[in-house]
Amino acid sequence: MRLGIDVGGTFTDLVLIDDKTGNIHFTKTLTTPKDLAQGVMNGIEKILKISNSSSDDLEYIAHGTTIGTNALIERKGAKVGLITTAGFRDILEIARIERPDAGLYDIFVDLPEPLVPRYLRLEAEERIGADGEIVKPLDDNSVINTVEKFKKEGVEAIAVCLLFSFRNSTHENRVREICQEVFPQADVTISSEIAPEFREFERTSTTVINAYLLPVTRQYIKSLQDRLGEKFGEMDLRIMQASGGAMTAEVAKSHAVHMVNSGPAGGALATGLFGRLAGEDSIISMDMGGTSFDVGLIVNGQPRIKSEGEFEGYPVKIPMIDVEGFGAGGGSIAWVDAGGALNVGPQSAGADPGPACYGNGGELPTVTDANLVLGRLNPDYFLGSEMKLSRNLAEDAIRSFVAEPLNLSVEDAAAGIIRVVNANMVRGISANSTQSGYDVREFSLLAFGGAGPLHAVELAEETGISRVIIPPYCAVFSAFGGVVSDIRHDYVQTIAYSQSDATPEKLQAHFDELAAQADQLFKNENVSPGSVHLERLIDLRYEGQSYELTIPIKNIGKLEQKDIDKIIADFHSLHKRIYAYGDPSELVEFISLRLVGIGQVPKIELLKEDSKETSAPLQKAERRVYFPGSGFVETKIFEREDLSPGMSFNGPSLVEETTSTSVIPPEWTAKVDVYTNLVVSRN
Amino acid sequence: MKFEADPITMQVIRYAMEQIADEMGYTLVRTARSTIIKEIKDISCAVFDAQGNTVAQAHHAPMLLTGFELGMRALRKHYSDSELEDGDVIVFNDPYSGGQHVMDLVTFAPVKYKGEILGFVGSIAHHTDMGGAAPGGTAGGLTEIYLEGLRLPFIKLYKKGEEDRELFGILENNIRVPDKTLGDIRAQASANFVGIRKMKEILEKYSPQVVQACLKMLLDGSENRIRSGLQNIPDGTYSGVDWVDDDGFSDEPIKLQVNIHKQGDSVVVDFEGTAKQVTGNINCPIATVHAAVYYALIAVIDPHVPPNSGCYRPFTIQAEPGTIVNPIMPGAVGARTNTSQKITEAMMLAMSDVLPEKVMAGSHGQITNCGFSGYQPGTRKRFVYIDIQGGGAGARPTKDGRDGQDSHLARFKNTPIEAAEMEYPIRIERYEFIPDTGGAGKFRGALGLRRDIRVLIDDVSWARYGDRQKFEPFGLHGGKGGGKGQFILNPGTPEEQIAKSKGLDHLNAEDVVSLRMPGAGGYGDPKDRDLHSLLKDIRDGKVSIELAKSDYGINVTPKMLADLD
Repeated sequence: MRLGIDVGGTFTDLVLIDDKTGNIHFTKTLTTPKDLAQGVMNGIEKILKISNSSSDDLEYIAHGTTIGTNALIERKGAKVGLITTAGFRDILEIARIERPDAGLYDIFVDLPEPLVPRYLRLEAEERIGADGEIVKPLDDNSVINTVEKFKKEGVEAIAVCLLFSFRNSTHENRVREICQEVFPQADVTISSEIAPEFREFERTSTTVINAYLLPVTRQYIKSLQDRLGEKFGEMDLRIMQASGGAMTAEVAKSHAVHMVNSGPAGGALATGLFGRLAGEDSIISMDMGGTSFDVGLIVNGQPRIKSEGEFEGYPVKIPMIDVEGFGAGGGSIAWVDAGGALNVGPQSAGADPGPACYGNGGELPTVTDANLVLGRLNPDYFLGSEMKLSRNLAEDAIRSFVAEPLNLSVEDAAAGIIRVVNANMVRGISANSTQSGYDVREFSLLAFGGAGPLHAVELAEETGISRVIIPPYCAVFSAFGGVVSDIRHDYVQTIAYSQSDATPEKLQAHFDELAAQADQLFKNENVSPGSVHLERLIDLRYEGQSYELTIPIKNIGKLEQKDIDKIIADFHSLHKRIYAYGDPSELVEFISLRLVGIGQVPKIELLKEDSKETSAPLQKAERRVYFPGSGFVETKIFEREDLSPGMSFNGPSLVEETTSTSVIPPEWTAKVDVYTNLVVSRN
Repeated sequence: MKFEADPITMQVIRYAMEQIADEMGYTLVRTARSTIIKEIKDISCAVFDAQGNTVAQAHHAPMLLTGFELGMRALRKHYSDSELEDGDVIVFNDPYSGGQHVMDLVTFAPVKYKGEILGFVGSIAHHTDMGGAAPGGTAGGLTEIYLEGLRLPFIKLYKKGEEDRELFGILENNIRVPDKTLGDIRAQASANFVGIRKMKEILEKYSPQVVQACLKMLLDGSENRIRSGLQNIPDGTYSGVDWVDDDGFSDEPIKLQVNIHKQGDSVVVDFEGTAKQVTGNINCPIATVHAAVYYALIAVIDPHVPPNSGCYRPFTIQAEPGTIVNPIMPGAVGARTNTSQKITEAMMLAMSDVLPEKVMAGSHGQITNCGFSGYQPGTRKRFVYIDIQGGGAGARPTKDGRDGQDSHLARFKNTPIEAAEMEYPIRIERYEFIPDTGGAGKFRGALGLRRDIRVLIDDVSWARYGDRQKFEPFGLHGGKGGGKGQFILNPGTPEEQIAKSKGLDHLNAEDVVSLRMPGAGGYGDPKDRDLHSLLKDIRDGKVSIELAKSDYGINVTPKMLADLD
């Protein structure tokens, strides 16, 4: 059995899967913010009880934790000292000098403050040149003095980022040695290990974040291991990374930055799983909650990975699943600006006071209020009837802040709010897909999160997508990611070869080095060599460009010239597809080699249910619901629990479940598949 | 059938237009060849309606964004609809017909849908070289436009989607680094083609009638927002003066005065009191003047208004021909940013009494632009390396200037040291803050920046312009001025010498150019500075103990610093 655990802000979600039978159990417990490990322990006990299993049945636990994310958001990481090349201590704060987009005309918008203040950013006398040559040897004394100072200042972790260390790491290695001799209590992160790629600011930022989060994440993992040990004996604990891979707890103790933002990765992996089960390998995932809307892309059954991203305004150069977040959720506030335009968000009513209809003192109209007024939400069946929604309050809010200023009826204003928030999300979907050269119409949309299924089919209609999948277990969806996650380690080496320099022999030699590192780590983790496989990718660009495209290498054996030719040809055509321009006569540059080591876990199969039912389900009610183009129409309401495989029904209809509601507009048909996915297709 | 726009459909169309502009910008940056585009991002992309009004902008440099306006108006006059074909890409860079400086190449492309022009897309990019007397076009001391590079009127560089080989040939023969520059121009064309493709999808989806009606409503909405914002500002005339150091030719300071006449829901800005056109290249073309005025007004009136041509309708700009803010042929304009940044600064100063809570104290107020050029060792290929820096951003009524961050019209990235050194025979030896250059105040101005660049080969030309080396960035409401800039050749050696702020010099291997970019002014009385913030600045080495005493009137003791958390 495998156990997936995903810790969120409010709930800790757990999913237990029996590999042999495909049986699934899931549950939620309250997250315990002061001591996250406690909530996890509570959850494990609860799910073992529900499933009537014992800890001995567990092969491993795959755990997605927000401990790092939270520490970064709350600025509660370690006191970090940063060592840079002499002359460059301010790189971290100068950043790329560009103010954030929101500050284009707003003089009050700033970049975030650096995580290491200037007095803890000190310099080592040394310099490596652009070809990796030593321009100025490292002065050990300059490092010793610096580390002594850190010691005096009570620094807990040290980050080291020297210029061109991705070309030659001798100086960084030596600095680490000195740190360990002089100040063994401090954790040291060196940039040539955590992000050996060019662009010094982004590399420094990544290194600093790792150092910043290292003590707190290590402490957490250790305490969880201890408690698991006390309660159940030794346990195989794996930690989720932003890349969608897992790592063993021991490796995680030195790879803090990889844990940041691993939550959305779980959702994307789960999307891949349910997509595979539903026979789809091109899927756009949408996760819509109270405050945000996350979009991801699954191509060929795999979540798309990008090699760098941003978190809390800080760049991080680590592989991460490309899930883009946008400020659109159920709590997003609708408002009319001085020019008479209707806007939704980015301000959110959050959970407190929340939408006006919650009756908790929120007076501003939100997307949830609009859904209620349009009949899409059932006021008496929200969160499984735990909360009663007030339609009057929703109407009042929409009337005062939207309908009256725009001279519309309350219903038209509510419909307007939905259209505007949908348009915002359509923009998010195209930003994440067409910008990468994909045509959204060739994708299916998979929706989860409390508000996802409310909006999904209309978004599909807007973007020309013809199939929407609404999986079961929406409420614990991200935790599914853990149970299908392979162990994964990423390696990168910047080489910057011209086309003529890039011989198969040289590339093979570099890849061999990276492979040796991967093999060693897997060995340390006791991953059986038989389950390990290595993927090789290479970042190419046209000579003189600054941004690369990543091309996978299909051949898994020894590289030959024809492999190189194929890589180049693939690059030209990908460039053409994305940027409307590609020229096979132009020379390319080989910038970075990437090696992904994957310790595969066996694929799981979920329990299939027979689809003997072919009748329509029994409707539990009927009410008036608004649909664009048709206005309010009498609409059938179904209960998700009453649906069984094989059933199908037409829109307009709604499917209610305790944590969500699916809206099926006219012209669409819903069908329940053998895994109880709701698959909605255009007629 | 006439379609009546509604505020909801309008918003849906607006998002779609903004998405198009963003995708164009993304394409341009990703495919360009020169550091000035791909790393620095000195570019802009926008979408226009059939009349040529800007309807959406990507998040780029405000100087170029609002700078599209006059060029587009000139283009609409230049070509009749029937002269424009689907797939045509028109380029121009003429400062005397709505362009910026000749380094900024504008590309416009019509969006023709079912035979009718229903909009345009456009991009501007600052190029590495356009020929002319000095590599990179950035040299001080140039006296007429003819020296600054190829000046292109509207020309169709692509006809029906095909490159015009002859025109590309002319460019290739006149530019020092054609492989870079032509690649960049192709990247601009790619951005336009991506924009056209997306725009047609939108027209197909919503119909031309709906799109046009909504865009009209969008423009009107922005106009209304600006007008209603103006109603909250007292009527009156507000003036501000700032100074450009010199024109790189004589040493005479050059006066820049703005007079903002605010009446009801509109504004007239004139430059009465501003210096006559000068010999050197700091003259500011009218398109850039418009951009500077628009930027400053939007920033104080309604910074989150959807930025489009509607915003500009309440504004009238009167700039006397023959002055530095409306030069006449053949005045040189290459270093115009020294002047345009001062327009923004003078606007902020002018409004500092009437809108004290909305303005920023004096900033770096210039752009330091260096072009290093020579021949690559080994290949002997010509290179031009452009390095662009700003300096400190001014303090604000509620917070310090953010050290290291750009301000106002200049919005661009620096070039990573590792990217520069892998490509060019230079070594960057320092890139750091300069202590004590942030003007004291209740809120401190941001620090200036230092960047030291060593050239590794002989025979490198160093063309450059910078400013704020004689007149410091101003403080506001009791805040002190910030540090001035300076360029030093071979600092700390017997050969050390001050280099002119605008010039062209010859460098040899091992010469070091030390660029000191100005800091920024403080806001409010330094005596009101929170002690904790002051002590932190001292601990961080951003403010010295001496300055704490002289400018803040605080005797800082070692114990005070030791007690800091």
